[in-house]
Amino acid sequence: MGAAVGTDDKKSVNVDLNIVPFIDLMSCLTAFLLVTAVWTNLAQIKIKPKGQGQPSAAEPNPQEWVKASILITDNDIHVGLSRVQEIVRVPKDKNDYNWQVVRENLDRFKKSSFLQAPNPFANAIEIGAEDKVLYQAIVTAMDTSLAVGFKDVGLSAPNELSTKFTR
Amino acid sequence: MPVHSSGPRLYNSIPFKHLAQVKGGRSRAVNVALNITPFVDMMTILVTFLLMVFSASGEILVTQKGLELPDATNKDLLRRAPVIIIARDAITFNNEMMADPITIMNDPSPQWKVPELYERLVAERQAFEVNMRKLSNTDPEKKKCVEEKPDPKPEELCLRGLAILQADKATPAKVLNRVFMTAKAADYKNLLFAVNRKGPGQ
Repeated sequence: MGAAVGTDDKKSVNVDLNIVPFIDLMSCLTAFLLVTAVWTNLAQIKIKPKGQGQPSAAEPNPQEWVKASILITDNDIHVGLSRVQEIVRVPKDKNDYNWQVVRENLDRFKKSSFLQAPNPFANAIEIGAEDKVLYQAIVTAMDTSLAVGFKDVGLSAPNELSTKFTR
Repeated sequence: MPVHSSGPRLYNSIPFKHLAQVKGGRSRAVNVALNITPFVDMMTILVTFLLMVFSASGEILVTQKGLELPDATNKDLLRRAPVIIIARDAITFNNEMMADPITIMNDPSPQWKVPELYERLVAERQAFEVNMRKLSNTDPEKKKCVEEKPDPKPEELCLRGLAILQADKATPAKVLNRVFMTAKAADYKNLLFAVNRKGPGQ
């Protein structure tokens, strides 16, 4: 960027900065960024199909280990651990699911001794939903599980969950 | 042509003192000093904003009109993969109509598979595997697949058996479960649920 110091007067200390290249660059950059801008703010949640109907030789047998599960029904959410059958029922608060209480219970389960090493399913959770439950509730359950620290989130049919919930 | 006396001249008859810096009060100076500071300020703010929202991966997924995605805070960046869309009136795969969600919702049978979608998914996976085999002959790097890692990063997910599920937030779980089970039966082991970013997350 060119500069002219004290142009015509010896006592002048004014500096004339040539900002034309700067404006040129800014204009080009603005035009480019406006053309290439992506306005849709989309992201993803990674999910694995889970359930008892998917045997895999590489995976340890889920029947031998404690596994966390969530069942979403029309009226409430059940959070539980398989094998030990520790189950918490979180009823709806007015018309909305009480995600705060679900999160607290998931957090408690995550810190429990059942979901610690060497349990290969310590970071895994299965989510099942009854027929009329909306997709937003399922995604919020996945979101809450991820926030608590369950990195391996799976979706399965309600009757295929490791924890047997009584409705 | 008759000669007239000169008319009003800019910066002479009309001084525009707020625009022009008339040097030394001489009438012939015509230099105009435009104040471009607000322009530069605006450009700087605009460029900063656009750089912040810039995405190097480009637009991977386009949401259909009338399709409202669910919101989530914990999320990963999107990847390119075949897209299954569950809208209110149609289930499509790569923009081809597969089934009607209302029919599935009203179907009392214990049938869990969506036959058209299953066949299309299997065909897509087989076509992918043929192409992958051809590619891996020329590029050994393509053979690498860390699918078996316990917790692979999103960019490490194997492309084989990877699909994006884009569903309306009001989709009933019955429809979602059937599509999900169909994908599972067609050996799609990783599904990416497209969501709207909401607030701070990972």
